[in-house]
Amino acid sequence: MKRVARRLLWSLVVVWTVVSVVFALNDLLPGDPARMVTGPQARPADVVRIRTELGLDRPPIVRYARFWRRLVHVGRPLGEDPRDDAHATCATLLPLGPVSVHVDFGKSFQMRQSVAEIVAARLPRTFALALAGVLAQLALGLGAGVLAAVKRGTWIDRSLSTTVLIGIGAPTFLVALLLQYVFARSLRLLPLDGFGATAGDHLRCIVLPAMTLGIYGAAYYARLIRDEMIVLLRQGWVRTARAKGASDWRVVVEHALRNALVPVATAVGLDFGALMGGAVVTETVFRWPGLGELSVKAMLNRDGPVITACVVVTSVAVVTTNLLIDLVCARLDPRLRS
Amino acid sequence: MRPEPWRDVLRSASKACVVGAAASVCAPWGCGETLTAPIAAAHGQDARPRPGGTLRLASFQDVRSLDPAGPTDGLAIQAQRLIFAGLVDYDEKGHVVPELAETWEVADGGRTVRFRLRPNVTMHDGSELTADDVKRSAERALAPATPNPNASYFDQIVGFEAFTARQKDHLEGVVVDNRYVVSFHLKRPDATFLPMLAMPTLRPVCRSAGALYDDRWTPCGAGPFRLPPAGWQRGMTLRLVRHGAYFRPGLPHLDAVEWTFNVPLLAQRFRFEAGRQDLLRDMTQPDQSRFAADPRWAPFGGVEANTRVYGEAMNTRMPPFDHIEIRRAVAAAIDREHYRLLKPAYLTVLTQLLPPDVPGYDPDVRGQGYDYPAALEHMRKAGYPYDPVTGKGGWPEPIVYPLYDQGLLVFTAQLLQQDLARIGLHLDLRLMSWPAFLALQERPGGAAISQANWEMDFPDPSSFYDPLFTTASIGPEVSYNVSFYSNPRLDELVARARTELDPSRRRALYGEADGILCDEAPWAFAFTYHGYYLRQPYVRDLESRLIGGGDPTRAWIDRESDTLERAVGRLLP
Repeated sequence: MKRVARRLLWSLVVVWTVVSVVFALNDLLPGDPARMVTGPQARPADVVRIRTELGLDRPPIVRYARFWRRLVHVGRPLGEDPRDDAHATCATLLPLGPVSVHVDFGKSFQMRQSVAEIVAARLPRTFALALAGVLAQLALGLGAGVLAAVKRGTWIDRSLSTTVLIGIGAPTFLVALLLQYVFARSLRLLPLDGFGATAGDHLRCIVLPAMTLGIYGAAYYARLIRDEMIVLLRQGWVRTARAKGASDWRVVVEHALRNALVPVATAVGLDFGALMGGAVVTETVFRWPGLGELSVKAMLNRDGPVITACVVVTSVAVVTTNLLIDLVCARLDPRLRS
Repeated sequence: MRPEPWRDVLRSASKACVVGAAASVCAPWGCGETLTAPIAAAHGQDARPRPGGTLRLASFQDVRSLDPAGPTDGLAIQAQRLIFAGLVDYDEKGHVVPELAETWEVADGGRTVRFRLRPNVTMHDGSELTADDVKRSAERALAPATPNPNASYFDQIVGFEAFTARQKDHLEGVVVDNRYVVSFHLKRPDATFLPMLAMPTLRPVCRSAGALYDDRWTPCGAGPFRLPPAGWQRGMTLRLVRHGAYFRPGLPHLDAVEWTFNVPLLAQRFRFEAGRQDLLRDMTQPDQSRFAADPRWAPFGGVEANTRVYGEAMNTRMPPFDHIEIRRAVAAAIDREHYRLLKPAYLTVLTQLLPPDVPGYDPDVRGQGYDYPAALEHMRKAGYPYDPVTGKGGWPEPIVYPLYDQGLLVFTAQLLQQDLARIGLHLDLRLMSWPAFLALQERPGGAAISQANWEMDFPDPSSFYDPLFTTASIGPEVSYNVSFYSNPRLDELVARARTELDPSRRRALYGEADGILCDEAPWAFAFTYHGYYLRQPYVRDLESRLIGGGDPTRAWIDRESDTLERAVGRLLP
């Protein structure tokens, strides 16, 4: 418990550091956010007025202090007073009866919407894609890796290894375009891109982006599992298990695979955290409206509040998954608990 | 991190795989596969428009706001023009024509423009448009708290300063004369006022918009299409449906217009070929060439208006371009024909400020032009003679040329670099992000020379001369006179042209101004670019406009599947 608390504290420090660096970068990078809002043909007088309207005329330290003061705060439940402009850009983080904990990232310069609302709408989509992507990676990667290890040196191993190399070598965008071409344009089995309007649409729309992420990531997992399994299957305790009459299936799954999963769990955690920041290329090609596409556009448009919100979400996702990985790894391998 | 003992092996193997995968993709895709045939119209050319159907459009961009008083962009303007009708509009040649205003009169020596509204114009919320709505909409759009990037375009309205400084609650210069008559009082006669008024900014909005701008407002106007509930899924789709009570009887024919946003170029082509997108505007250069060369598709291609000028802006306050002879040398050294050959079907050489489709363009003006001996002579006069045989002489230092990653401009920058090297000016190309480029270019002392372009905001020469070359456009922090050019004579000519209501006298004033610009060369004018688009044959009567893309108001869909759907739709309850 003490260890978890210490890790949590460190996680907060990591998030604070990352966000502070991004906040500073937003200011240091060349480019005027007000100019990006007004467009290149707006008159200087209009640019100045909009800069003031966005609060960009205030000193950076004032905006920084305001950001942290507003990020998580307590207020009345949202929606009670529609004229309450002080909380117009907030979203409820934790309802606590007469009061609630709000999260407030401010208003997007470009979209002029509450950033918390934008992120809240996109976060589940990114989560769904990250989850589907990781599941596809694991399903393909674990299966191929175990099979290659068990059939080491055979044509199956060689075929799988070659396929894995293609998976690693092909850039994501190429895999994405190929899948679009085959499954959407030629066979017309799946939607070309988009998100859809119903739950059924969402499921159909997520298949190709998840496959794209799956193919790319599965190659690493297959390689990883194969190598780990080959080493483990030669261990003395595996021979002992065989000598005791354990079936091949039990030896492979319960003895070897379970131990091989420790590095895989670490890799999955890191991958999942990274995907929560948005699979930028995949989201863009498939028009999947998640955080990746959002953060890239925000970066190009110097939309500071959106950039900061994306970084907060990503860094929280990364430190949380890292924390979970530690717990899972400790569960898988008792030696790590100490 | 992942253990990667195979890293080196994987790296070399993966390169081979990429080549293999690319080849496998290329084979069925872009290297020999024929284009899908166009989907034929259901009826002959002389068929009468049929109501119903949806026009499906797509863009690789997104719309930020649909509020005419909010931040805007090229795509938003297309949608705004469908939702909001203006007092006046432009026709396909850019002439101002009546829309919500039945008539208008210019009085008081040009200082008053009085509009008589059409009676019985129904807005999307069912209310009738009145002069009060016009005044309220103008005040809402120009209010100081409104994030309107075009507010200062209307600073010639009487009382603008007092209103925007919050000294007055109302805009004094907009007066409701009676229920259907509204007058705009100007500080001085202004030939640009009507063209500016045709921009979406001041278009009347429903009473639900209130007196003050609010981001949460659902756009509502008097245009041919209205925004239904949940019609705009931000970042994804926009669906506008027919305004049944549109003031032009029988229009629009379409049931709806739909946009899909953020669609990559290749995906747009797939959609278009599959008949799930009716117009294709964003396409790769190879696809453009293939469609244009395909005799089945060629009749359904169209070009958009030439309304954007591209050139090289030279900072007249930074060496070496503070010397007029150096600027003249640059203007004479650029072989614009090389630029044109980059995209021969879409680029037109430009030797003067105004592009061909902008009112005021004079095809007989010689303007700037490629003249290599003259360019060398200008370098000699500037005191930096260059000998092309020995390569000696010229400006001694390399000159930084910032640019951003926009396909065409990266190529023109390299051509410019080659052309200027031939007169002894050596450019050091520096690639950077668009915001960084903009910040550098607009700052005094930021960039000595840089690529510049300008799109027509409203169809009048003033849309180019005023912002780009007048002293008033030079700001201490942000300047869109990016050559920082200041010439009292040019300022005077442009100011007089703006207040001059006689077309021939205006033409003469702008003619003299153009002569000054071509000679003193704050810009080396280079080329103009017109977009190319394709439509499926079943899209009928889509009129092109000078601004804001095609106009779907009179368009209709003549497709077999739609005919069937309509027939089935009528049979079903």
